[in-house]
Amino acid sequence: MSHPAVELDGIWKRFPGVIANAGASLTVRPGTVHAVLGGNGAGKTTLMNCLAGVYLPDEGTVRIDGEEVRFSSPADALSAGIGMVHQEFRLVPVFTVAENVVLGAAPSVLDMAEINQKVAALADRFGFEAEPTRPIWQLSMGERQRVEILKALWRDAKVLILDEPTAVLTPQEAVELGSVLRQMVSEGRSVIFISHKLDEVTSFCDEATVLRDGKTVASSVAIADVDAGQLAELMVGSVSVQQVAPRDATPGDVVLAVDNLTVVDSRGITAVDDISLSVHSGEIVGIAGVAGNGQRQLTDTIAGLDVAQAGTVTISGTDVTALTTRHRVDAGLAYVPEDRLGVGLAPKLPITHNAVMRGYRTMRRGPMLSWDRARAYATGLIEKFDVKIGRMEAPMASLSGGNLQRLLLGRELSDDPRVLVASQPTRGLDVAGVAAIQNLLLEQRDAGAGVLMVSEDLDELLALADRIVVMSEGRIAGEFDPKQVSRTEIGEAMMGAQ
Amino acid sequence: MAFAIGLIFALIIGALLLSISGDPVFDTYQRMWDRSFGTADTLSATFNRAVPLALAGLAVSVAATMGLWNIGAEGQILFGATAATLVGRIGADWPGPVLIVAMLLGAAVGGALWSFGPGLARAEIGVSEIITTLMLNEVALRLIRYLQNGAWKDPEGFGFPQVEARPDQAQLGQIWERAHLGVIIALVVIAAFAWFLNRSVWGYELKIAGSSPKTATYAGISMRRKTLGVMLLSGAIAGFAGGIELTGTASRLSENISNGFGFAGIIVAALALMRPSGVALVAVAFSAVQVGGLSIQTLGVSPAVSAILQALILFGAIGAAVLSTYQIRLVDRKVAA
Repeated sequence: MSHPAVELDGIWKRFPGVIANAGASLTVRPGTVHAVLGGNGAGKTTLMNCLAGVYLPDEGTVRIDGEEVRFSSPADALSAGIGMVHQEFRLVPVFTVAENVVLGAAPSVLDMAEINQKVAALADRFGFEAEPTRPIWQLSMGERQRVEILKALWRDAKVLILDEPTAVLTPQEAVELGSVLRQMVSEGRSVIFISHKLDEVTSFCDEATVLRDGKTVASSVAIADVDAGQLAELMVGSVSVQQVAPRDATPGDVVLAVDNLTVVDSRGITAVDDISLSVHSGEIVGIAGVAGNGQRQLTDTIAGLDVAQAGTVTISGTDVTALTTRHRVDAGLAYVPEDRLGVGLAPKLPITHNAVMRGYRTMRRGPMLSWDRARAYATGLIEKFDVKIGRMEAPMASLSGGNLQRLLLGRELSDDPRVLVASQPTRGLDVAGVAAIQNLLLEQRDAGAGVLMVSEDLDELLALADRIVVMSEGRIAGEFDPKQVSRTEIGEAMMGAQ
Repeated sequence: MAFAIGLIFALIIGALLLSISGDPVFDTYQRMWDRSFGTADTLSATFNRAVPLALAGLAVSVAATMGLWNIGAEGQILFGATAATLVGRIGADWPGPVLIVAMLLGAAVGGALWSFGPGLARAEIGVSEIITTLMLNEVALRLIRYLQNGAWKDPEGFGFPQVEARPDQAQLGQIWERAHLGVIIALVVIAAFAWFLNRSVWGYELKIAGSSPKTATYAGISMRRKTLGVMLLSGAIAGFAGGIELTGTASRLSENISNGFGFAGIIVAALALMRPSGVALVAVAFSAVQVGGLSIQTLGVSPAVSAILQALILFGAIGAAVLSTYQIRLVDRKVAA
């Protein structure tokens, strides 16, 4: 009789160049808070969007209370009792709390006094404090999130999905959220809690499912039976792709220095908090950590895509803190960003356009671009880095993930940069692609470049890096020699200063 | 192919519409054809009307390459024509060719001036260019009303509020029947821009910037400079169209000189899939449909039916050609195996 509240089985979802879900599964029992864990890009949000009707899975089945369903819109999912609170809130700032809560599900004759009262009663039942008549724009992020949750409860959602709910909350608000969730499950509802903050998962959740590379690597683990370190290991993986045999590094001068760097992100959260580190020529420094602990802001700021609030970035002796991306490239920097299609490449433009993005300024003839030289250059890159393409005129997004990354990395390495910053360079690639990219990184190191590499794959860092720096909550939580450190030690450092 | 099928479909539906409204189907179509393409005289007039449509379409599509919406081509045409009139007043006794070149340049500068504010606001503080360019249309219109009642009022206008006529020698020459030199100029401008955008470093950077602002920043391209630059260029092209209208078909500046071309240019650009190279053909088709659609009203076809017929033909023919690049796939609404 007791069917799982939610059962996702064999879910596949592909996007151009990326496989977000590769046969992922998830089973949530009624009356539990179920954590879905995984690093950035592990496929958590995509999987939840498949459940909430935002995406239609390419393959696989979705069952609610044992019955197979196929949602073609979020409204479909909502009427089946699935509510989702997205990372970006979907509220009307000039409407009041009550107006937002009932929007789209209001009675056809509006009696605002009655609605205000009902919304207040609903909030009260779950232990929220909510003033129904206040406009949204006056509320803090934590208060807005409660309005989002109320919206789902107003529609009587049986399953509530929260996508990284604590990212915008103060620690105090996070604790309050925990008690609201307990109240919900005590009524027999289920909560799916997406996170990569392990301490919250262990304190609020009953069970956890861990995703990695779009697959489920651990299903419905009882939180009581595991500790945070074990969960971290599941997230970063233990299957080694040890196909490279690095030689010992011969570090030279400092080529990249970051001093007391602080970066505040667009939400006003301090993502990088007073970090200092240096990379010498001829070494690979690996940055380990659970995704979302400031790694992206660190590398983006080194590359000039984010602005530092304090501190300096020095490339080969030049202080580039106030310089544009272009001047940083001139100073010897190459950057492989985490978001390849959104930052590193122009997916809709032809392959040639993408191949010359770093070097096109050297191919000008007056105001014109020499497309003969551009094509010759692109062809050379494709041959040298063994990129498999269809036609040169085809859009970049038609390439597979591994080939995209080969072209991107090849392009960045083509002028022998002194500093290479590579963020998640092997994520989402198949075994052959991973080995090819890892070999390129090692070759670059042996040729004398300084490499800063961010990865969520601890085994990769242990195999490639000459030093490992662990980041947690925007700070450096420890530096280790990969030859002498155990996975457990690094795992503990990842958990931060607790 | 899709073009022909779409056109035939549109004509069949149009025929139904005409028979419902009690108009003669064959005569109406005959008249539309005669007045748009049928004779050398009407065909040349169709070409003339296509010139501002094509240039406005070019202006909109150049901005769209970078993902910007210039909704203000109408105002830029008006202010371009105003600036050209100013040049005409200054150089009233200059020889014709010199004056025409000066007026056309003045028109382009005027158009660019009209898009400078929106471009700067967008580049520096992210103000939506859709709103600002749209609002400036009104401003340009009011400015002309002020001029025709005030400073530039025609002393020979018998008190009627109109701007003094431009110098007679500033008239673009006829090249074929009624078609003026502007037809050739527009074709050259469009070809030059299509070539420049595809071949130049500037055009390459524009495409990267249109792909994503983050990618552009990553590639070392200044989004601020590109945004301002492309808005200035878009405004200059639209302003230039105003100059061509003033020296080609109109004899004086008036608030009707833009004649909705700026707004129609958005449709032209959209139907050309925002490709600068496609605007000329689309503009000729658009012009023909407009001219033909107007002509049938003299047969007693109501303006409403005429407007519906115009829309049917445009979307039937060009829309079908656009939509034929998509494919329809049936997805099982029940459960996929």
